[in-house]
Amino acid sequence: MSAPETDDRSGPSARSGNTFVGDAWVNFKRWNLKAVRNPFVLVVSLVQPIIFLVLFTEVFGNVAGGAVNQGLPGINYETYLVPAIAIQVALAAAITSGVGLVNDIENGMFEKVLVTPMSRTAVFVGKTAAEVFRIAVQIAIILGLGVLLGADIVTGVAGAVGIIAVGILFSLWFVAFSNAVAIITRDQESTIISANLLQFPLLFLSSAFLPLEALPGWIQTFARVNPVTYGVDAARSLMVDRDVMTVIDVAWFGGTLDGVAPGVAVLVGLDLALGAVAVALLSRASSSDVK
Amino acid sequence: MPTRDTAGPGDRSRDGNDAAAAASASAAAIDVDGLELTYADGTVAVDGIDMTVPEGEFFGFLGPNGAGKTTTIKVFATLLSPTGGAVRINGFDARSDSRKVRESIGYMAQETSIDPELTAAENIEFACEAYGVPRDARTDRVDELLDLVDLADVADKRAEEFSGGMKKRLDAATALVHRPPLVFLDEPTTGLDPKARNRLWEYFRRINDLGTTIFLTTQYLEEADQLCDRLAVILDGEIVADGSPSELKREVGGEVLDVELEGGQAAGERAADIAREFDAFGDASVAETEAGISVTAETAREHGTDLLVALRDAEITVTGFNIRAPTLDDVFLAITGEELDADDGEVAR
Repeated sequence: MSAPETDDRSGPSARSGNTFVGDAWVNFKRWNLKAVRNPFVLVVSLVQPIIFLVLFTEVFGNVAGGAVNQGLPGINYETYLVPAIAIQVALAAAITSGVGLVNDIENGMFEKVLVTPMSRTAVFVGKTAAEVFRIAVQIAIILGLGVLLGADIVTGVAGAVGIIAVGILFSLWFVAFSNAVAIITRDQESTIISANLLQFPLLFLSSAFLPLEALPGWIQTFARVNPVTYGVDAARSLMVDRDVMTVIDVAWFGGTLDGVAPGVAVLVGLDLALGAVAVALLSRASSSDVK
Repeated sequence: MPTRDTAGPGDRSRDGNDAAAAASASAAAIDVDGLELTYADGTVAVDGIDMTVPEGEFFGFLGPNGAGKTTTIKVFATLLSPTGGAVRINGFDARSDSRKVRESIGYMAQETSIDPELTAAENIEFACEAYGVPRDARTDRVDELLDLVDLADVADKRAEEFSGGMKKRLDAATALVHRPPLVFLDEPTTGLDPKARNRLWEYFRRINDLGTTIFLTTQYLEEADQLCDRLAVILDGEIVADGSPSELKREVGGEVLDVELEGGQAAGERAADIAREFDAFGDASVAETEAGISVTAETAREHGTDLLVALRDAEITVTGFNIRAPTLDDVFLAITGEELDADDGEVAR
C-alpha cells in the first residue's frame, strides 16, 4: 500500500473551498444519501397521505362533494382535497427531521460533526435543505397523483409550484418543532410519538377535509388558530384560482392572492418563531459551555 | 499486511505539522496549565491538571471510570470549554481559537461514531469533505485509509453491517482524513475482543510511526504498557503519577509477591495485616486482591517464604504464590490502592 506520507501534501492548511455554502452542501448530500438509503421511510411517509387521498375521495367524495359545492360551486372533492393532502405530506415528512437528529445524536455523528471545522449553522442549513427538498418532491408526487384521480389545478404549473412553496413554508415550523422535541427528549420514540400525536388533531380540526361551515362550532374556533387551516387555504386558493381563505379576510390584491398572502404571512411568522426556538435549543446542545 | 515503504518520522513534512509549527514556536502538541472543569451541578471533573505532550509522542492517559479522562479529552477536542486554566493544542488556544484546533486534530470518541446508513467509503468521504480535503485528493485518501484499516474489501458495504471492531476501525479512519498532526483516542478499544484490540493497536502504532502525536485514554493497563511512550495516571480529576511505563514500574520498587489464599475476604484482610507488620519487608505496599494479597517490596524475593510461613502459623491457607517483576497494574494498585479491571463488567460511560 502507499504510505500516507508519500503522496500529495494536502492537510488542514489546504482546506479547499469549505465555505458556508460548501459546508451546507456536504451535509445536504449526506442527508439526501441517507434518505435514498432508506426508501422505506420515503415510501411510508407518502403512503399514508396517498391512502387518505384515495379513501377520502372514494368514500366521502359524494357526501363531502355536496358540502364543498355549496361554498365552491363547480369544484369537485378531488380538487378540494389535494391541497390538504399536500399539507399532510409536508406535516408527515417534517416529523422525520427530528428523528434524523435523534439518530445522529445516538450514533455519534452529531458530536463527530461538532469536532469538524464545519460551520455549525451550515450543518443544520444543509440538513434542513435536504428535508425541504424531499418534501417538495413528495408534494409534487401528490399533485401528479391528484391530477390522475381527477383533481384540477386551475392555475396550472405555476400554481403547482406555488402549492409546493406553500407546503415548504408550512413544513418549516413543524421541522423546527420536531427538532426541538428531538433535542429535549433525545429519544427517537418520544419524538415520533409527540409529533404524530399532533398530526391528526391538526389535520381534522381545520379546513383540510371539509369546509369550515360544515363543521361544529368548536372546531371552527380551533381551526382559526390552527396553522393547517392557513396552509391548506393558501394552497387551495392557488389550486382553484380564487380566494378561499376562510379565516382571514383581506382585499389587498383582489382575487386569488388575497387567499394566499395572509396564509403565507402567518406561516412565515410561525416559521420564524419556532425556528428561533429550535435554533436556540440546537446551539445550546452544541455549545461547549459546561452543562 | 501493509508496510511502510518509505522514510520514517524524521523526514515527514505533512502540512498539518507545518501549520501547527507555524502557529507556535513551541514543539508541544498539547500544553495544559492548571486545567479545571466544574460542571454546572458543581461536580468537579478535572481539578488542576498540568501537562505537556511533545510532538510525535504516544501519550497515555490512564484512570478508572469517572476519573476525568473523557472530560479532559473533550476539552482538548473543543467539545467542552474549560472553567479554569489554559489549554493550547498544536499552539492554538482551545477556547479562543477552537476552529484552528478542530482543523488540526483528529478525534475518536469513546462511543463509535459512524453513520450506519452510509458505506465505509462514504463515511470516509463525508469526513474528507467535512475537513476540506481537496476534491482531487479525496479518492486517493479514501482508498489509502480503507487500506490502512483493512476495510478495502468492504468499502461499498453499509457500516450497519459491520462488526464492532470493523466499526471502530472505520471510525479511526474517519479521524485521520485530514492527516492531523495530533489524534485523540478516547478508550478506542473498550468493548473489543483481544484480536480486534490488537489490530487497532497496530494501526495506532503505524500512524504514530509516521509522526502523528497520539493522546490515548484507556483503562487497560496492558494497552498503555504496549503503546505509550509516556503515561499520566488520573484519579478524581487530578494527575497522581506520570512518566514512562518503565519509570512508573521502577517507582513501585522491588518485586511483587502475589499470594493466593483460601477463605475469601476475611482471610485476605488478616493476611494483609500480617504482611504489613512483617519487618523483613521494610516499607512494603500491601494490597488485597481478588485471590488474596499482593505485596510489593525490595525484599519480596528474599523474604517471600518467611511470609508464607507466618501465614501458615496464623492458620491462613495459602493455595498459591508467585514472585514477579511489577506491571503497570501494580503501579496502579500502589497509587490508588485499588485494582483497575476494565473487564469487570464496568464499561465506561
